[in-house]
Amino acid sequence: MLRVAVKMLLGDRVKYAGLLIGIAFTSFLVTFAGSYFAGFMTRGFALITENPRTDVWVMDPAVRSVEPTTNMPSSALDRVRSVEGVSTAVPLALGRADVRFPNGRFQSFQVVGVDDATLAGVPPLQDGVTAMALRAPDAVIVDPGGTTGKLQTPVETADQWYGGPPRLNVPTRKLGPGDDLLVNDRRVTVVGRARALSRYPPRPLLYTTYSNALRILLPERRRLTFVLVTAAPGLAPRALARRIEDRTGLRARASDDFKADTVWWILANSEDVGDIETMLSIAILVGFGVMGVLLYMFTNENLRQYAVLRAMGATPQRLMTMIFVQAALCAIIGTGLGLGVCAVAGQFLTGSDYPFRMMWFTPAVGALMVFIVSVVSAAISARCALTLEPGIVFSGR
Amino acid sequence: MQSAPTSAPGCDIVVSCRGVTKSYGSDEAKVAALRGIDLDVRRGELLMIVGPSGCGKTTLISVITTILNHDAGECNVLGRDVQRMSEQERAVFRSKSIGFVFQLFNLLPALTAVENVAIPLLIEGVPWKSAKSRANELLATIGLGARTTALPANLSGGQQQRVAIARAVVHDPALLVCDEPTSNLDHETGHAVMEVLRSLTEKSNRTVIVVTHDHRIFEFADRIARMDDGRITEIVEGKDREQVP
Ligand SMILES: Nc1ncnc2c1ncn2[C@@H]1O[C@H](COP(=O)(O)OP(=O)(O)O)[C@@H](O)[C@H]1O
Ligand SMILES: [Mg+2]
Repeated sequence: MLRVAVKMLLGDRVKYAGLLIGIAFTSFLVTFAGSYFAGFMTRGFALITENPRTDVWVMDPAVRSVEPTTNMPSSALDRVRSVEGVSTAVPLALGRADVRFPNGRFQSFQVVGVDDATLAGVPPLQDGVTAMALRAPDAVIVDPGGTTGKLQTPVETADQWYGGPPRLNVPTRKLGPGDDLLVNDRRVTVVGRARALSRYPPRPLLYTTYSNALRILLPERRRLTFVLVTAAPGLAPRALARRIEDRTGLRARASDDFKADTVWWILANSEDVGDIETMLSIAILVGFGVMGVLLYMFTNENLRQYAVLRAMGATPQRLMTMIFVQAALCAIIGTGLGLGVCAVAGQFLTGSDYPFRMMWFTPAVGALMVFIVSVVSAAISARCALTLEPGIVFSGR
Repeated sequence: MQSAPTSAPGCDIVVSCRGVTKSYGSDEAKVAALRGIDLDVRRGELLMIVGPSGCGKTTLISVITTILNHDAGECNVLGRDVQRMSEQERAVFRSKSIGFVFQLFNLLPALTAVENVAIPLLIEGVPWKSAKSRANELLATIGLGARTTALPANLSGGQQQRVAIARAVVHDPALLVCDEPTSNLDHETGHAVMEVLRSLTEKSNRTVIVVTHDHRIFEFADRIARMDDGRITEIVEGKDREQVP
């Protein structure tokens, strides 16, 4: 009888195609949305990803994510270094600064101050420049950080503003090595462009040494945002983090835990995320609504056929099996198509700078939701087919 | 040899109804479709039930085939009291003992002729291979051997109804019930379909009940029961059919 069920399904090509497209579209939508979301979250902890050698992040006890942060006294660095099991510990300063371009345009940057000695935390650079370039006085490295068109400087030196009125509508080119910027009234020189990971929320980045960061950021009593720790060989990051917390009273998190903290923080606190969630939820609900209705319609239009089978003595269990097999077949093939398209789309998108990460759980969630909707609509359809008077088969309509 | 209403298999009476009533709806909107049916159907005969539209013919065969529960009275079919059967038992009973032919053929449109014919065997659990070969044989004996893989949409009305008849008898049921089998067919085709029906039932001693409006096929009847307003008003032998208006 399963053969009959499958034939019934494939027999009506148009309806079957509609059903498949509906399910494929829905599973695509869910997986894509999930991957898009995962992409954003990944950008949220880009700073952690950019420091793969760091085992443990140490911070002020009130800090819950890489963004936003508050600072520790600089003595914290020595306290961390004195904990046994800490192999290396280097400072990292994060700050925000309004940077002025030579034509007077201003732009908010995140300033990342890395350890003067090791330059740990500088991302890969473009044009063959090495992190050593930061050792030059007032040197900075810039990165768009997921933004576009924000790192533009005037083409003509005549369009320099210093002192006069700003010249905002002049021809511009990409900011590059040798260009000057003004950070809190201090002149800095761009020595290179980075290939940093895109950030969420996106904003341009300015990498410099820790000591230079102290110089150009607005004076604050405390400037040390994070201490990046590597563990002694054989010591688990989590164990070390717990030990650092015990000995120093600071907050210390293994890198993976800190990533998770950051994702939770964004989920709980970011209004953007709420908006994205709402929009995606609506899209997904519509997709599943359409899919459920299509599945239901399919059975409903075949009600007479089910009634014939029932009259001929097919038991309710058997009819139910047939309906569920039909739903399962549609769900599996449709989901396969949807996930396939999503994977292909992902290949294209990750090439470009688009927040898309198809992690293991996104297709799983997509498939699970398709499964649930299929079962529910199959159950509703089955109910219709089983409560139907089989006597309708005699009607001459 | 006259049987009691509770006839067992092997007796001459295959269907026995005594005072069977059935009404649809409730209270004010109640429609009495059967108002006390007394009817015996003999083994191996072809009984036709005739009567005006709405007189309860379809309701009666629905009760006899266990598709519909009646309200009161007694109805025994092939030695079973239909009122006493569970839903599951009815399904199994129908699949083993009853064949159906419908006015609108009711073939599954996505299935080929041979697949349609094989359905009752598949319901009984016969493996597809043997069900298919049995169905193919049967289609060949009724002159449709060349159309076994055709879809219903590509068959004429007469061919479809012949396929439907093959489907109704493929599992060798003791009772075959046909509701207006020829009323969607022209006279000649209807006649040919009845010939097929007769050829498939004559030898097997199968009992056939045919509900019809079509006086042109009365010649196939052994007996004709006339119904009006939920009652059987008279039963005549087929050879006396001229008496039926
Ligand atoms: N499902 C139903 N609900 C309500 N009334 C019905 C239903 N089926 C049949 N009837 C009524 O019962 C009566 C007998 O119907 P039916 O058995 O179909 O007659 P026939 O087959 O002789 O035309 C008619 O008056 C019809 O309107
Ligand atoms: Mg009728």
